[in-house]
Amino acid sequence: MTALSVLAKDLKLHARDARFLATLALFSLSLVLILSVAFGPLFDDPAKEASATLWASLFFAGVLGLTRALDLESESGGGEALRLTGADPFSVYAGKAAANLILMAALFLLLLPCTAVFFDVGSLDQLPGVAGVAALALIGYAAWGTLFAALARGLKARELLLSILLFPTLIPLWIGAVKLTRSLWADGTIDPVSDWVKIMVLADVLGVALAAWLYETIQEAEE
Amino acid sequence: MTSGWLGKSRPYLWWLAVAMLLCSFWGIAHAPTEAQMGTVQKIIYIHVPSATAAYTAFFVTFVASIVYLVSGKGRRWDQVAVSSCEIGMVFSAVVLVSGPLWARSAWNTWWTWEPRLTSFLIMWILYGGYFLIRSSVSPGSRRDVSAVLGVVLFVSAIVSYLSVAWWRGSLHPRSVTMTPEMRMTLTISIFAWLAFYVAALVERLGLERTRERIEEQAR
Repeated sequence: MTALSVLAKDLKLHARDARFLATLALFSLSLVLILSVAFGPLFDDPAKEASATLWASLFFAGVLGLTRALDLESESGGGEALRLTGADPFSVYAGKAAANLILMAALFLLLLPCTAVFFDVGSLDQLPGVAGVAALALIGYAAWGTLFAALARGLKARELLLSILLFPTLIPLWIGAVKLTRSLWADGTIDPVSDWVKIMVLADVLGVALAAWLYETIQEAEE
Repeated sequence: MTSGWLGKSRPYLWWLAVAMLLCSFWGIAHAPTEAQMGTVQKIIYIHVPSATAAYTAFFVTFVASIVYLVSGKGRRWDQVAVSSCEIGMVFSAVVLVSGPLWARSAWNTWWTWEPRLTSFLIMWILYGGYFLIRSSVSPGSRRDVSAVLGVVLFVSAIVSYLSVAWWRGSLHPRSVTMTPEMRMTLTISIFAWLAFYVAALVERLGLERTRERIEEQAR
């Protein structure tokens, strides 16, 4: 229940911040554009280049969303109020991670068709598979991202510090997402690289488990 | 434990470390030269021990961070964690410099994106982030945030350590065949670098305590 309330609160804050959402959308689209121009106009391996472009754009743009959610909370005083309620820290974390997941999923839905069109890859048959890969990657991104964003809250140059911690940690998810998407777009199956599914699931579970243990300490540190 | 023995300068630890390092260098000078790689192979007596010391240092950071989190947040454990992490960074840097020197001769390239090299570099960058975050947060929350990072970042050390077993195509061997003299030299070198790590940790702990005392007096 607490998690749902936190999720609703964070989504409301995002919804009120339409200018930021528009900026985030344009920023991520420009990343896709820049990378597709850099790889093109004639692509050597369109499936590979498209999957790399999609996930690089999504992960880079996502950092802005992670820090913005916390900035909005600080500006509105919601974080302090939330701590005063004595809500279960993991429920707070789960609500925030779910809000970040939804924001990333929205970004993914925007970038996927653009990437597919720019690189001329993918088909509707492959969509469920790509959606599955996205679920694995974005759950991990939200799990680790929410944890690290809470650590970097209130710091100067927090986007930079968050990136230093987040991107290296997410490399297993990043490589897995690129390899699986590429395999789906090029061969229509993930069989040759299916081991990456296990690695991504492990990264997701680890992120959530560490947050379950440590998020309370991070909240206490903020007080 | 940490308030008594650790943290005070122990000159005999340095003497022991230096003596063991001298033994190690003597062993390196007299160990048989490998037939194919020649003298360059002897980098292994620096590369492997420094990697062992780096992993040990990050493991100590991990354990000290856990103890800090579960045992009433004693500041001594935070001091152990940060001191060990800093020394781990130095040993990791030695690994990252000696590795390419070896790779150039063994694999004909300074750097290749194979699992151990890549994961070790990622680990080094992440632990660099530990210090950046630690120095950025307010003094009140510094220890808690560092302890969380000390636990979370150890995942990267585990991934790096096990990468050779986990991923196919790693150029790092799972085991190596050595002559008894080579194996003895490597063993002595590993213990020498670990002794050096312990001496440096005790010294660094003393510095950390002095730094905290000065900071408290300044407030």
